[in-house]
Amino acid sequence: MARKPRPDRAEVCIIGAGASGATAAKVLTEAGVRVVALERGPWRRRESFGGDELANINRYNLWPDPLLNPRTARTSAAEPAREELFCPVPQMVGGGTVHWQGWLPRFTPNDFRLRTIAGPLEGASLADWPIGYDELEPYYDRVEWAFGVSGLAGANRFEGPRSRGYPCPPMPMSRYAENFHRGCAALGWNSFPTPQAALSRPFGGRPATVVSAFAQQHGDPTGTRSSALNVFVPQAAATGRYDLRPDCYVRELVLDAEGRLRSAVYEDADGDLVEQEADLFLLACGAVESARLLLLSRSGRFPAGLANGSDLVGRNVTFHEYSAAIGLFDDPVYAWAGGGYVSASSFQFYEHDERRGFVSGGHVAAAGVGIPLPINWRLPGAPAWGAEAKRVDREAFNHSMAVAMVLHDMPQHDNRVDLDDGMVDAWGLPVARITLTPHRNDLDQGRFLIDRSAEILEAGGARSVTKVYAERVTGNCSHQHGTARMGDDPAASVLNRWCQAHEVDNLFVIDGSSFPTGTGANPTLTIMANAWRVCDHILANRGRFARAGLAASGASR
Amino acid sequence: MAGEAAIEQEAPRAFDPHQRDTVAAAMARIIPSDETPGAREAGTIDFLERFLSGTGFIYAKPDGSGFETLSGRHEQAWRRRIDILRRRYAEGVRELDGRSRHRFGRDFVALAPQEQDEILRAAERHEAWPGGEAPAADAGTGPALQQTSAEIDLDFLPLLVLHTRQGFLADPVYGGNRDQAGWRAIGFPGPASLAEVHSGRYSTLAWFAEGHTDPSFENRKPHHGA
Ligand SMILES: Cc1cc2nc3c(=O)[nH]c(=O)nc-3n(C[C@H](O)[C@H](O)[C@H](O)COP(=O)(O)OP(=O)(O)OC[C@H]3O[C@@H](n4cnc5c(N)ncnc54)[C@H](O)[C@@H]3O)c2cc1C
Repeated sequence: MARKPRPDRAEVCIIGAGASGATAAKVLTEAGVRVVALERGPWRRRESFGGDELANINRYNLWPDPLLNPRTARTSAAEPAREELFCPVPQMVGGGTVHWQGWLPRFTPNDFRLRTIAGPLEGASLADWPIGYDELEPYYDRVEWAFGVSGLAGANRFEGPRSRGYPCPPMPMSRYAENFHRGCAALGWNSFPTPQAALSRPFGGRPATVVSAFAQQHGDPTGTRSSALNVFVPQAAATGRYDLRPDCYVRELVLDAEGRLRSAVYEDADGDLVEQEADLFLLACGAVESARLLLLSRSGRFPAGLANGSDLVGRNVTFHEYSAAIGLFDDPVYAWAGGGYVSASSFQFYEHDERRGFVSGGHVAAAGVGIPLPINWRLPGAPAWGAEAKRVDREAFNHSMAVAMVLHDMPQHDNRVDLDDGMVDAWGLPVARITLTPHRNDLDQGRFLIDRSAEILEAGGARSVTKVYAERVTGNCSHQHGTARMGDDPAASVLNRWCQAHEVDNLFVIDGSSFPTGTGANPTLTIMANAWRVCDHILANRGRFARAGLAASGASR
Repeated sequence: MAGEAAIEQEAPRAFDPHQRDTVAAAMARIIPSDETPGAREAGTIDFLERFLSGTGFIYAKPDGSGFETLSGRHEQAWRRRIDILRRRYAEGVRELDGRSRHRFGRDFVALAPQEQDEILRAAERHEAWPGGEAPAADAGTGPALQQTSAEIDLDFLPLLVLHTRQGFLADPVYGGNRDQAGWRAIGFPGPASLAEVHSGRYSTLAWFAEGHTDPSFENRKPHHGA
């Protein structure tokens, strides 16, 4: 690897151009800040996306290729880790939002104080957040309006107060949503149209969605699904202040003599090493990769990894688990239409209720079966091949739907991300190793939510229902949090309430790493709202940060 | 269709004739032909040989106009993966023949369909047989719920099932699912071509919602080509 000359020092360097990194880029550049963004993956344009199930779901067109980006996993530190594609997220400009379906519920006010609400839970490391719903509410609103989220204000009875409604009406009622709402209504449970990052009407210069079947896990060739790639990246680029460098893989963060962050060292597309200096660094690689990069960045001051004097970096990781009850209906439901993950949700079993015998709960929603496209659709329990398999395909493909849950897994001190000592990725860096034992609470809560999901299907008219309980936490939601908790106590957290490292004052971690608890809802609206909040704080203190940064840069030259 | 002409021309090969016949025969049991087309009519063997012929047919261009040329680390990763898969097929064919000869005294291709099913089931269950050791059963991966899986981790039988399904139900541009036979069999109104999706003309609104009245969705005739 050759070393290239140092580029100009930046005011702010953002590492990662996914959900949180692109939010920060938009907010900072629109306020006049010049930003350098380093993104390890390519900058794909929407012309490069299409309706190709084989390429996108089976051949790693957008998913990380496990031969290049392996991870390892184990259930406890006592056992050897095995290679496993644990909780992958696309590594490219736009990050995980490139091929999501974009369910965007808000967290509820109680999500920010679960420890207070539920009390201690044996074996878990529950903690309240240092911030509350009220502090995030204005930013929820901003992201919803920037994205053109479709939804119905007030329909979710368990939602906190909102300053205004949604910019776009809910998506049209799908057949599977009808079944879901009918089931909930019959049971007396609240249900609502899932807030969705899809345009139900033209918005912000973009047309309404065409309702293709190739949505979840496909990039969007039409630009009508809202994502970091479709919305925030172009908005930041339009300012002329966003120097986004794709194919630049940050390998290490380097300290200066004062213990402040001086530079990010990255490998560029030519395979050369480049050192980028900046006043402020915003880490936005996703909770697993941000922890990995901190752990890769060792120094005399931080022998166990950057900002890791507390030994908490990588710990308390939470992932959510996705599982479902599956119903067969006499009338066709075509649950693949629209991409299969749309339209109807319930928070009826979201809030903590101690009578249930476990802590907290999760979001349940109408969905397609598995990945509901022809190749990857499969009815659990059906034979994999032969005449009977073909009969099931023919008779159930159009007649099945799922009610799926987002399981709120509990944080535990020993559940963690660290560096594998026996495996490197295609760039020669040690891979992330996940150590994770599900908490008893996770499994109990999962059974409960799947049982309720099955009841919704039955009450909604299903002729038969199959339950698939979560047996372990596999990271299959692609939701990841907790690896650098925020809190007021530096001994019990890595970041302060502004997601600034307690130990390194010009380092902010703005992805889901900061979440003390994972909650039972899809996290990305909150990840983006929180990144926006942090950037507002940075802007409000811009003079202070810049002066400190200039002093540091003077010292290092 | 342009894609099909290309297949005839290039006829990419990954197997010798006996391997090809054996895999094709096994695929015909994975998705049998009945009153609707099966693996054989859909051309799943052509799909597979094309896939395993090199790295030239991994990703169709999103507008369906040909295939992407891979380079660098991605190309290397795919070459490695395809080598592994080809070896697994070569071993798998040997295993099927070994089991067939041991049980029925003939190669797999020469067996009656029910006999072939019996052999495939034995291979699937890793039943021990004198001619070879039964490879340790991989934990395998159940049906993907939300995520992709690592296909090189699969044993021969699940791999064959997966590839048969792919050849039956992937976009026809990949050489299988001939005349959308697979999609028609299960009732999926796929696009007439990848270009339909790429251009935003492909909509499934008519299947998604019934009798909706949202004005923004008017004038949006569902278009599903052939
Ligand atoms: C199929 C799928 C469906 C989903 N659906 C939903 C949903 O409906 N609702 C929801 O709320 N969430 C959903 N998610 C999750 C959502 O995508 C993530 O929560 C979100 O993208 C996380 O944002 P982030 O900023 O933390 O990280 P990401 O969006 O993952 O971005 C991190 C970026 O950092 C880059 N990066 C990593 N390491 C480095 C490095 N060393 N150097 C340079 N760059 C680096 C990566 O390439 C990536 O682009 C889904 C995810 C997937 C995969």
